[in-house]
Amino acid sequence: MVGPLIPMGVIPQAWDNVFAVLLGMGFGFTLEASGFSSSRKIIGTFFGYDFVVLKVFFTAAITAMLGLLYMSYTGLVEFSMLYIQPTYVTSAIVGGIVMGIGFSMGGYCPGTSFCAVAIGKLDALVFTIGMLVGILIFSESFPVFEKMYNSSFLGPKLVTDSLGISKGLFAFLLVFAAVGMFWGATWVEHKVKKVEY
Amino acid sequence: MDRRYTILAILLIIAASGLLFLPDRSKPKEINPQELLAAIDDPARFISTDQVTERIIGADPALQLIDVRSPEEFRKFAMQGAINIPIDSLLIPQFKDVLTQAGKDKVFYSSSDLAADEAWQICRRTSVPRIYVMKGGLNEWFNTIMKCSEPNATAPSQDIDLYHFRLAARQYFTGGSQLNSGQREGNSGASDKKAEEVKVVKKETKTGGGC
Repeated sequence: MVGPLIPMGVIPQAWDNVFAVLLGMGFGFTLEASGFSSSRKIIGTFFGYDFVVLKVFFTAAITAMLGLLYMSYTGLVEFSMLYIQPTYVTSAIVGGIVMGIGFSMGGYCPGTSFCAVAIGKLDALVFTIGMLVGILIFSESFPVFEKMYNSSFLGPKLVTDSLGISKGLFAFLLVFAAVGMFWGATWVEHKVKKVEY
Repeated sequence: MDRRYTILAILLIIAASGLLFLPDRSKPKEINPQELLAAIDDPARFISTDQVTERIIGADPALQLIDVRSPEEFRKFAMQGAINIPIDSLLIPQFKDVLTQAGKDKVFYSSSDLAADEAWQICRRTSVPRIYVMKGGLNEWFNTIMKCSEPNATAPSQDIDLYHFRLAARQYFTGGSQLNSGQREGNSGASDKKAEEVKVVKKETKTGGGC
């Protein structure tokens, strides 16, 4: 059995949505269990009293990366069959700025806001309504943004291909950087006045 | 700092440095068996002798015929514009550039299509792009083009057009000029025909995700 299971036809395409629901429930449960449904926890990253967001997401990323690379090496996953999100440089920069502002103003990212709505947080409800209004405005005025949205398209590009280094070296550097960042974040947490919430 | 986190961080770094020292196993690059099976099942790799003939006559710059028979057989007779890469020499580095050149449709042929299909499979396994097989090989080409037979008068007009095209092609290849007036019409009709493009249907996978 070689993954990815659905693109390789091991599991029929029709199961896609079932897995999406199951994974979504797992993701939501983990977010809630790690306290991500509190906007104060997320905003802690910007004020320096709680870096759990950085730690959780970076750990998830490097764990997945190491798992994928090892499974690809042992032949359990066919790397060429993985879907790689295509890169639009301008959209990524503009979208990153917009999302960063929303993130730091509201204290939620899209995923955590729905988690918080699920447990009845009013601020999250306002946040999600705002998000949906934003989506509506963007969709309706898409022709205005279309040119910028599609500009500087690079296709499904990998950092390792752009830099011309091996996947193993990149993974090692990223893990090293992540561990350094965890250490730095913990150091900052100790320096900044603890906030009770 | 908590000792557990230190241990976990060290484990992560060890796991990551393991990737640095793993021996390279990426070569030779082969496509996976499922993909190969699906490709073998797909008849889109076959190009008919008529299509090949049309592209030769039209001097299609994207066409690269590859004769996979032995050099002796190649010297005796070969198709116009063909190059000889015997099937046992397909993976020799000197032919790599020919096989991987961009913008060319590499069409394999042999006496029948068995050896050509074998060559196609070898190349497909090593992910050579845009490769095809001439259906029926040289024998079929000879039977359809050089020894084309006249269809019944009641045959569909496509068959009659095809017959005229083949007659014209035969004249093109042999340099013969004995055509009756009807056949001359066929000749001009054939030149109007456009070369059919063979498209390889690629399987697309689309699954996205995000936060």
